[in-house]
Amino acid sequence: MIRKCKTMTWLIVFMAIGALLALPSGAAKPVKLGFVYIMSGPFATYGQFAKQGAEMAIEQINAAGGINGSPVEAFFEDSTGKPDAALRAIRKLVYQEKVDCLIGLDSSGVAKTVAPSIGKLKTPLIITHAATPDVTGSVCNKYVFRISLNLAQNIKTAAGVAALGDAKKWTTIGPDYAFGHQSWEYFQKYLAQIKPDAEFLPSDQVVFSPTKTTDFSAYITKIMQSKPDGVLISLWGGNLIDFVRQGSEMGFFNGDFEVLSTLGAAVEVLDALGDKMPEGIWVGTRYWFLGNDSPINQAFVKTFQEKYNAYPSYNAENAYGAVLTYQAAAKKAGSVDKDKIVAALEGLSVELPVGNIFIRPEDHQAITDACWGVTAADPAYPIRILKPFKVFSGAEITPAPAETGCNMN
Amino acid sequence: MESFIINVLNGMSWGMLLFLISVGLTTVFGVLGVLNFAHGSFFMLGAYLCMQIMHIAPSFWVGILIGPLAVALLGVVIEKTLLTRIYNRDVSFQLLLTFAILLVIDDAVRLIYGPGYHVVEAPAILAGVFPLFDHSYPIYRLFLIVIGPVVGLGLWAFFRYTRWGKIVRAAAADREMAEGVGIRAPLLFTMVFALGSWLAALGGALAAPQQSLSPAMGERIIIESFIVVVIGGMGSFPGAFVGALILGLCESFGTVFAGRAQMAVPYILLAAVLLIRPRGFFGREA
Repeated sequence: MIRKCKTMTWLIVFMAIGALLALPSGAAKPVKLGFVYIMSGPFATYGQFAKQGAEMAIEQINAAGGINGSPVEAFFEDSTGKPDAALRAIRKLVYQEKVDCLIGLDSSGVAKTVAPSIGKLKTPLIITHAATPDVTGSVCNKYVFRISLNLAQNIKTAAGVAALGDAKKWTTIGPDYAFGHQSWEYFQKYLAQIKPDAEFLPSDQVVFSPTKTTDFSAYITKIMQSKPDGVLISLWGGNLIDFVRQGSEMGFFNGDFEVLSTLGAAVEVLDALGDKMPEGIWVGTRYWFLGNDSPINQAFVKTFQEKYNAYPSYNAENAYGAVLTYQAAAKKAGSVDKDKIVAALEGLSVELPVGNIFIRPEDHQAITDACWGVTAADPAYPIRILKPFKVFSGAEITPAPAETGCNMN
Repeated sequence: MESFIINVLNGMSWGMLLFLISVGLTTVFGVLGVLNFAHGSFFMLGAYLCMQIMHIAPSFWVGILIGPLAVALLGVVIEKTLLTRIYNRDVSFQLLLTFAILLVIDDAVRLIYGPGYHVVEAPAILAGVFPLFDHSYPIYRLFLIVIGPVVGLGLWAFFRYTRWGKIVRAAAADREMAEGVGIRAPLLFTMVFALGSWLAALGGALAAPQQSLSPAMGERIIIESFIVVVIGGMGSFPGAFVGALILGLCESFGTVFAGRAQMAVPYILLAAVLLIRPRGFFGREA
């Protein structure tokens, strides 16, 4: 009898919860945004920054009356950095939560696998971090957009930076997956165009380390023994931190060769390394919080610092920017209908903290500026900052649509 | 010659870190018969606690002394409250339970310290470099190469010559018989598990000054520790030492000479050992 009572109680509790959840809120139907970032594992800090940026944007939009008068509701899912998990998360967001738009993706491997399925889900996806050229190239489709700098743009800038110095013989260390290999491939292509006499070490002498590596000493030794003039580092996150610390100890940054780190100006990395980050190396990023004095950037940095007590990283800015981009598209379309949003995103111009971006209709890649600078100590900051700092105009570093291999039909 | 010596040093310093982690894993397996998936989490916890203690008392040595002891204490609690319940059950219970412990510890650390990267500084006396050929080599790596054998010898002497060590070996060989002659096996098991946890945490604290701390750092090292334990022989103590050294050297030379195939080196080694000598170099006959 008692057991029966208990079962009944539970049933009633569940029914009550269900009824509460189903209650109409009375307010306008919310706009639902689904975010998919790496929330666990070694790269989870990138997901956390993105979440902070997205939440801040949504808070500001809701405080100002929402998108076209409707409040914005956010759903966050963990991609875990693995394609199958990310696809499951995306399906859940689309079918279960019925989101109006998807935002996110950190890993190129994930983005490349997921992009073709987005066409079938008929839900716009705004990529904010994954850099593989393929999602706005060989596997591009109507529903996939990217507002962040892609690999081709970033590496074309790296080649421009490399051409400033006199290094002739180049090698690389990168993560052993598509991102690392493509970074090196594009670097050779673009640098050879600017500097025909540049030399590149053969494939058995360049170095790609598995992302699970924590001891880089053997890789460091191998690069130093190949006696290059310049090294392109495309490692990121914890890999980059470990590499820089161990490399400093082994004399890697003593100035025997030039060093370019394509994602070295990520705040996640600079923050962890503090004064362990060597000075005088070229580092790139998609967004640098001291990069421009526009009112929107100043307000963004100030609010972010007050709210989270940290400097905003590029992933925070990109996620923040994606929400603003969606808002602008919804305003332009006068609707949140998925196909109308897609049409509005094509050819959209928005001002974001990073600067003005323009989404190309041909391949859905945003034309956005690239930031590179030289690491320097500054007593006003606990982290290394970029001095000198250079902005490379998006129009100059973005390959023409014909080069991307994208075919929307 | 120059590159040979640097590669040996690279391989040995990595191998000794692997040894400290594997030796705890193999000891726990040898005595308790439990394959502890959460071992990597103890490694990670050792690093984080060392960092935490250094925030309070800014000395690496205090951190490395207290951090692993705290983890050993946690090991006692886990063994007493959880592991004792599954000794007589199917192996799948062990795997599920230790995997659950791993998830709980990893997420607890993520909740407390966040998913971001943390960096621990080496003590000043070990932080420098010394000139090696026309480059420099970090002193801390030499310290790791020295500390491995020191801990190893200490453990070996403990098991070989002390009364407690002999009791542990007796219990590992035949639990029933040992209980028959008056050894309190449950207490012994708790102590051994605490020792295993302490070793993992010691490895974590020692790794902290040269790799970034993140909640996932244990997951990354546990696979290689398993490989070491299998190569050396499950439950074998010298096996862990030799296995770790071989794996460390294979990885450092593999990186330099095998190019991209380097990733496969540990697994090829594992497969070869399993095919030719399934019980590992020093494993007992099954």
